[in-house]
Amino acid sequence: MSEPGLKIPQGWESRAPQGWEWKTLWDAVESGDHHYSGQRVKEAIDAKIDPRVILDDGLFPGFDLQSDRFSAQIIFIPEMLITARAMKVGLALIRPLLAAMAEKPVGTFVMGTVLGDMHDIGQSIVTIMLENAGFKMINLGTDVHPDKFIEAAKNEKANLVGFSALLSTTVYYQKVTIEEFIKAGHRQKVHILIGGAPTSQEWADECGADGWGKDAVEAVRLALRLVKEPREAWA
Amino acid sequence: MKELKPRDRFIRTLRHEPTDRVPVLYRMKHEAKAKLARVYGIADASTGRKHNPELELRLGNDAIIYQIGINADFSHRHIAIGETWFNHFGVGYGKSGLQGRTAEEETEFKKTQDFWGPAKVVPENFPKHHPIKSMEDFKNYKWPDPNDPALLDPINDICKRYQDDNFIIVDLSSTLIEAAYAHIVGTQNFFLYMFDEPELVKGVLDGLTDYYTQIGLNAIRRGADMIRVGDDVGAQQAMMVSPKQWRELAKPRFDSMFKAYRKENPDIFIKLHSCGDYSPILPDEIDLGVNLSGLMQPTGGLKDQVGIKQKYGKDLALVGGLDVQRLLPRGQVEIVRQGVLDVMKNLAVGGGYIFSPSHYILADVPVQNIYAMIEAQREFGVYGKYPLN
Repeated sequence: MSEPGLKIPQGWESRAPQGWEWKTLWDAVESGDHHYSGQRVKEAIDAKIDPRVILDDGLFPGFDLQSDRFSAQIIFIPEMLITARAMKVGLALIRPLLAAMAEKPVGTFVMGTVLGDMHDIGQSIVTIMLENAGFKMINLGTDVHPDKFIEAAKNEKANLVGFSALLSTTVYYQKVTIEEFIKAGHRQKVHILIGGAPTSQEWADECGADGWGKDAVEAVRLALRLVKEPREAWA
Repeated sequence: MKELKPRDRFIRTLRHEPTDRVPVLYRMKHEAKAKLARVYGIADASTGRKHNPELELRLGNDAIIYQIGINADFSHRHIAIGETWFNHFGVGYGKSGLQGRTAEEETEFKKTQDFWGPAKVVPENFPKHHPIKSMEDFKNYKWPDPNDPALLDPINDICKRYQDDNFIIVDLSSTLIEAAYAHIVGTQNFFLYMFDEPELVKGVLDGLTDYYTQIGLNAIRRGADMIRVGDDVGAQQAMMVSPKQWRELAKPRFDSMFKAYRKENPDIFIKLHSCGDYSPILPDEIDLGVNLSGLMQPTGGLKDQVGIKQKYGKDLALVGGLDVQRLLPRGQVEIVRQGVLDVMKNLAVGGGYIFSPSHYILADVPVQNIYAMIEAQREFGVYGKYPLN
């Protein structure tokens, strides 16, 4: 496998003021310098660069590079976490601007670790990456009762719901929670994704989920694909 | 070969010498142990630091494990809803699985104690208060006493009662990186502090090294045959930290610990455990002179048991490898038998292997699967017979 490289957005110069450079921001997101990423995004906002352009041309390249490296096991959780933090700081500054432009999220995603399970490293990373991919994320945290998932999905008119579990004793609750969605009559309104160490495609099929993410990068790809497949509308 | 004493079987295996059969090391969480103890009519099924080994010996264990590390007590003890229990490191633990539990779910949960029913959800105790959240906390932090007789005296008792026949392991897990992220500092904070507060990270790891060096020396002086250090740095598909970071943060500290142990007793055996896939650091374990490594969860990144055995099996004895994520809790009896056979073929040929599931047997494992596993191990774990002939 070839070493992942920085994918420079084509024609970025035409979308930025003359003399502008993004390289320092790409590097800052890559190396996890959240102080500089915040500062540079502010400068970009002041320079009246379109917030969508700041996201795509400024923040994503460094983040995508690190995601590819994470998938290829060149970098690991600590590096991914600081890159995600640098991305998040920049994203927090442009999110209100995107909302004001009526820029719609790709979809709404309710995420949580199932009842009985307190583990959240994996699902936190997936949440940040989905957020960066343009989803509106509602993270319910750990030890989440099925009713809470249903309530949040309903209130937020979610397109996707994700159940995480680390223990073989708690993956069972992925199935229980899906059954509760069926009982409540909401199963056809959402795509359900599952993930976590003891899970597999086989288990996803058995418990009736729509998809399984082997890792965070895979989960994002899957979510981006599923969100395009229509489901029943929320009332 | 005539039947060996469990202790001799274990030691010969660690030395890669021929034995009569594959030694066994079963460990159970309290719910699973309680279920089986009722079947065997054993009244005291204590786990954790108060561990009563009678049941494990009946199942065929060749060694006895006494847990003394930071995680020895929390997962086994009863913590009431809403209560926080603090251990001697000042880490606070509470229960999960109790958000909005209804009366029916409570009844459902009680059924998890049934013999034959797999558990649905078992509330586990988890670390929820981490004593070191800042440099200030670190400066004011008081390390526990590694010479505490309350922790150490049971070792003498265990050696006196069991050491003639059995091999005695003192378990110091969680030891370094895991103790720091999961217990003392908190996971996200710890990983961010690797970049933001490297001095805090080094300081906490140094404190742990000093503590566990001293308590390990005490355990050796009181008769332990093996020191087990447990440090979870493997996730399902890859390591949590990079091998390079592990070599900087953990390896030199383990090296100084192990050198101190070997200076005290050159014959002491050392086991290093990590959950998940830690295969990139197996060569480092050989550098450190580790005798036994496992538990080799086979469903994620650490799949290639035959390759691992070929590459490292001459220098490292291996333990574990029977899948606890799917096969043991969810497999049919025949699948469990096949799983034991596969693991024996992959890892036991040529010796230097101790049979065990890839982690604790949890509450979700049906009793019939535990029986099937034990039966298959007795059938397929004998040298000179199929598949070990």
